[in-house]
Amino acid sequence: MGNFAEYVKMAIHNILANKGRSFLTMLGIIIGIASVIAIVSLGQGTTNQMNSEIDDVGAGQVYIYCSEDAMEEEEWITPEDLEDLRNLDEVEGVSVASTLSGETVTGKGDFSLYMTADTEDAWMVSNDSMKRGSYFTDADVAEARNVCVISESDAKRLFGTDDVVGMDVDVSCYDITKSYRIVGVTAQKENGTFVSYTYEGMPTYITVPYTSTMDMVEGMDEFSGVTVIGNKSLDSQVVTDKSLHVLEQNHQSAGEDYFQVQSFQDVMKVLNQMMGMVTAFISFVAGISLLVGGIGVMNIMLVSVTERTREIGIRKSLGAKTSSIMMQFLAESAIITAIGGIIGILLGIAAAFGICSIISQSQDMTLSPGISPMTILIATAFSCAVGIFFGIYPARKAAKLSPIEALRRN
Amino acid sequence: MEPLIRVVDMCKIYNPGENEVRALDHVNLEIFQGEFVAIIGQSGSGKSTFMNMLGCLDVPTSGKYFLNGTDVSTMADNDLSEIRNREIGFIFQGFNLIPNLTAEENVELPLIYRGIDRKTRRKLALESLHMVGLDKRVSHKPNEMSGGQQQRVAIARAIAAKPPVILADEPTGNLDSASSKEILAILKDMHRNGRTIILITHDNGIAAQAKRVVRIMDGKIESDVINENFEE
Repeated sequence: MGNFAEYVKMAIHNILANKGRSFLTMLGIIIGIASVIAIVSLGQGTTNQMNSEIDDVGAGQVYIYCSEDAMEEEEWITPEDLEDLRNLDEVEGVSVASTLSGETVTGKGDFSLYMTADTEDAWMVSNDSMKRGSYFTDADVAEARNVCVISESDAKRLFGTDDVVGMDVDVSCYDITKSYRIVGVTAQKENGTFVSYTYEGMPTYITVPYTSTMDMVEGMDEFSGVTVIGNKSLDSQVVTDKSLHVLEQNHQSAGEDYFQVQSFQDVMKVLNQMMGMVTAFISFVAGISLLVGGIGVMNIMLVSVTERTREIGIRKSLGAKTSSIMMQFLAESAIITAIGGIIGILLGIAAAFGICSIISQSQDMTLSPGISPMTILIATAFSCAVGIFFGIYPARKAAKLSPIEALRRN
Repeated sequence: MEPLIRVVDMCKIYNPGENEVRALDHVNLEIFQGEFVAIIGQSGSGKSTFMNMLGCLDVPTSGKYFLNGTDVSTMADNDLSEIRNREIGFIFQGFNLIPNLTAEENVELPLIYRGIDRKTRRKLALESLHMVGLDKRVSHKPNEMSGGQQQRVAIARAIAAKPPVILADEPTGNLDSASSKEILAILKDMHRNGRTIILITHDNGIAAQAKRVVRIMDGKIESDVINENFEE
């Protein structure tokens, strides 16, 4: 064992003497490690991106909805509930977002149109900023004024311009036609990827005060759920508890479990779990290619042992011990996999960046790979383990050869 | 004086049982420090088996083998490796150099396994390559040298670690007569310098160059004579 450096030197000597073959042996390891690194980095990058977007949009938000028991009892969330929730110190706003579908005709043609009936706090949910005009106000809601807010892209779709504040949208819905005055245009979000991405084929939306729709359909003042936008600096649990308390008091339903809660943390957790599972599965498949690479190393080392039987005999006759031969061959497979591992890591990182930039460009968004030192560490450790594990059998075979047998063979 | 090599009642039996082959059959032999012994026999006589025993490449079925005072006949594989490294310098018929190593690196091999440091190794290797007259071939690989030169590298390798016994197995078997003469001259030279040389051959002409000739037949020592015509 004392001569470890010498065995490493012999191993390197031999790898260099068979450059082509050594490289081909490495190839399996390179591909295996590179694909694992690339996939894990991509998965991590996607997860990071998703989290930051959800965080951007949904942090501090809690969705409270009526349970089936409550629905059976016809206990809905009412406008009074909304008002009480809004008046809590911990709450910034509430949103109900009921959707009605209708139609409109403009100079650009016929469009199907969705109306989101909501409170004046609706902008908080998607964190909208205004391009023109302003959002409808509490007065608009209180007096059920026929005003609406439209997004920049929908404005362009309907009217060919975003300079539409003051214009009217004529909405036909349930046989009633109403004119909604546009008071604000929301700005297009930049670089939306997963959450706030607008597609060409998406329907046109306007957001209107929920009170303005009550004469169109019944039940627009009964809500099955409400999104409570809490103060972002507070723990969402505090917001949840306070809100539930208010609702249970208003409905005198303490202990009935009428109201249930889903926070964005929960959504995020589920999403992350899903992403993690997908990444783990693909990594597992890539890991199999690494295993195959390891078996490739073992095969080549076995061939090498057979080819070099005579050399082993010579070395043994000159005084090499079983352990010396073992170390020499083990060092050889370990070095091959280590070099393959390093090349694989670099290629994997490069591939992750490459794929991310292709996706970013083609989908018009920013996605950067999440390369963690942990991934690299594990990949390195794994490739070394593969080298040593698959090196042991050929090395043992080499070391156990009897010198007479080995010398006799040609 | 204690003999350098003492073989007592050595037997080697292959396939023990019905079809057993007695390759060595109760062999007794003593070789002293500084001798030049030829062991001669036809193929199948058991001389190769005997050479494997003397070279500690194999262990006898029964009997004892004292090398430099130590009983090596019952040693385990790893200990035998160490004995080979310290006590024996091999010269083979087929040279047995490692093809992708230079002459110097080949000569250094036994020194590496002995755990000698790099600098000393290089010094010893160059010294012994000088002794066989290959100063100018130090960094050549085996396939860049003639057979005679390759065998001289092998001799340099055998003597580099200064082992007490040089074991030469048909060292001229693959060489033309001119190269053979050269190699025999080097062996004789080493004998003159006090080394113990054991030469295994089937060739009477080669055996005649040694000082003592041991003839093996059917696994037994048939004759053991001093060569009257030996010229120092």
